Amino acid sequence: MSTESQNVKELFESWILDAETKLSEQDLVQNMKSYLVGQHPEICGKCTPCRDGVIRMEQLLDMYTNETATLKTLKELEQLTYNLRSSRCSVGLDIGKNFEVVLENNYNTLYQPVKKY
Amino acid sequence: MAKITINGIELKVKNGTTILTAAKSIGIEIPKLCFIEEINEIGFCRICVVEVEGEQDLVSACNTEVVNGMVIQTDSDDVIKARRTTLGLLAAKHRFDCWRCPKDGMCEFYDLLKANDVVFEEFGPGIGRNPEKIFGTGISQDQSKCVLCKRCVAVCSEVVTAKVLKFRDDDGINPIVSPTPGLAFDEAGCIFCGQCTKTCPTGTLYETDHIKKVESLLKDQNKKVFVQVAPAVRASLAEEFGYDIGTPVRETQGKMYRALDLLGFDEVTDTNWAADLTILEEGTELIGRIKNGGTLPMFTSCCPAWVRYTEMYKPEYMENLSTAKSPHMMQGQMIKAYYGKKYLDEKPENIAVVSIMPCTAKKYEISREEMEVDGVRDVDAVLTVRELAKMIKRKGIDFKRLEDLELGGQLAQFSGAGTIFGASGGVAEAALRSVYEILEGVPLESVEFHDVRGVSFSKDYEGTIKEASIKLPKTNIKLNIAVVHGGSALKRMYEILDAGKKQYHFIEFMACPGGCVNGGGMPITNDIPMHEVIQRRSQSLYDQDSTDLPIRKSHENKAVLEAYEDFLEEPNSKVAHKYLHTHYTQKGFTKE
Ligand code: SF4
Ligand code: SF4
Ligand code: SF4
Ligand code: FES
Repeated sequence: MSTESQNVKELFESWILDAETKLSEQDLVQNMKSYLVGQHPEICGKCTPCRDGVIRMEQLLDMYTNETATLKTLKELEQLTYNLRSSRCSVGLDIGKNFEVVLENNYNTLYQPVKKY
Repeated sequence: MAKITINGIELKVKNGTTILTAAKSIGIEIPKLCFIEEINEIGFCRICVVEVEGEQDLVSACNTEVVNGMVIQTDSDDVIKARRTTLGLLAAKHRFDCWRCPKDGMCEFYDLLKANDVVFEEFGPGIGRNPEKIFGTGISQDQSKCVLCKRCVAVCSEVVTAKVLKFRDDDGINPIVSPTPGLAFDEAGCIFCGQCTKTCPTGTLYETDHIKKVESLLKDQNKKVFVQVAPAVRASLAEEFGYDIGTPVRETQGKMYRALDLLGFDEVTDTNWAADLTILEEGTELIGRIKNGGTLPMFTSCCPAWVRYTEMYKPEYMENLSTAKSPHMMQGQMIKAYYGKKYLDEKPENIAVVSIMPCTAKKYEISREEMEVDGVRDVDAVLTVRELAKMIKRKGIDFKRLEDLELGGQLAQFSGAGTIFGASGGVAEAALRSVYEILEGVPLESVEFHDVRGVSFSKDYEGTIKEASIKLPKTNIKLNIAVVHGGSALKRMYEILDAGKKQYHFIEFMACPGGCVNGGGMPITNDIPMHEVIQRRSQSLYDQDSTDLPIRKSHENKAVLEAYEDFLEEPNSKVAHKYLHTHYTQKGFTKE
């Protein structure tokens, strides 16, 4: 495991333990994405929610970076995160659990840029 | 027994039952995609997820066993949302061209999207999961439509045992299902049985298209285009037009002929004729081998998938294969070299032959180099039953309302022995009827050999070995025969033969479980157990033999005997060898 993904992993752990760890939107999105990318080697590709879901989630996070995210983006991210509960093994299930916590703790940060009305 | 609750309904089921089966028993169909009972219970697609009280995560119904006290919801909001989301993910990586898709209305994936009202946003570049197309002479694959359910992989390795298709997940995020990367199916060890094309829920795996070829042949003014129909086709074509599986042949055969006539073929003939011819050639070869100490057991050679299996995987047994070509190849040569000259005064080069087959391997077979005589190819195109149905629909022919057409031509007359070729055991039974009478010189008391009939497998995927011994009192021979169908049974039979413990004279082999009635080119029958489909289609052929056809033995088919008088001289003669027999060569392949 590279140091970068090590750092991301620690960050996630602290997030999960401590809801107060807050990041700016940019950092948050960056870290969420690198966490997902860091999971690629674990993903076996067998089940749909994890194999195709994670890729889509990364694309949705990219929309934040490109400033094209809308409320729909956030909703879909939420939906795919929740859908990881139908994964086949703990790789997908864990990604989902972690993301659920992150979303819960940082919903506001992710909501700000898409609040266009 | 376990007491469980599904959607508020309490029920008792046996321990070890899956949630899917338990729900089914009370009339609740949980949607599924990757699951095939006993063959593919891997829980990949996650379409069948349900909610179980006390569980944080959703569980797959297809491979989760019930536990006493389980409370299950199959249609809660969460479940429906998850199902839709997962289907949406698959759809987003699928290239949709349903109206041109080879799956032609039988797509399980399409049905799921429809039933679940799935909305999705495409997030790939619009080319589906993978733009690659893999070619083969019998079957092809268009990976832009693959939903990675792995059903084909399971069928190819468990049922067929060829292990050509694999789930390649070196890159977990972007796996593919394919034969050895970079190779066509022909080079990768495929026997072209086509069982994978039937199990694929989408249009990813399909028979290699010959419709275009046939359409252009039909337009060609300089060609007389003959068509021939295989035995099993009459037991299934009507299914494509709303008839029940197992509808008696007498209700549909005439319509089938009529439909072919309306499609514009110059003459309709019946491969059943050449099935009778095959019996005379193969039967005579068998008698010769027994009398002259030739290689025994003799194997039937009418299943090209089986022949290819031997050429690739067991070349040491090539000598055992009968040298007789498969019936439709014989019929092709007989149309071109004999019938065309006799009745139409046409040169063989000016005649084209199209075969309607239950089989994808026959498409491969006609491409075999040696399948020609004096530069004239045996057969020019092969349509599966599914392809024929498509052409009939395209032409706007209303099958149900067609008037029967009776065929008067010489190459359309057949015996009951010819028609039962389509069922597993049929070739052996047809051969026995003739071999017995030829060797014994007396008529058989009962022409039916029930030992070789039927599909006795308990599990769909096993295939069977059936055995029978027939005493020939006068010649003082006890004929030991076996009937083998389904890939895993082929393999088992080879183990038996390798061990050298059993002595057989004659073995009928068919690569598809149940024989041609369950061929890779037959109509798709979602949700009816395979053994039932086989049983019903076979029965309609056996019924045609026993009730509709006055002649039940190949060597009594006058239209065949006439061809011997006019042209072939006698079974296994030099002329017969030139046109009706072939040879085999070892075939290489690459698997990683
Ligand atoms: S596989 Fe099914 S959904 Fe896909 S294009 Fe064919 S019919 Fe349509
Ligand atoms: S045609 Fe038969 S052998 Fe070839 S890939 Fe399909 S199932 Fe396997
Ligand atoms: S080719 Fe068909 S059966 Fe095989 S994994 Fe893809 S969709 Fe499933
Ligand atoms: S049908 Fe159960 S996971 Fe695919």
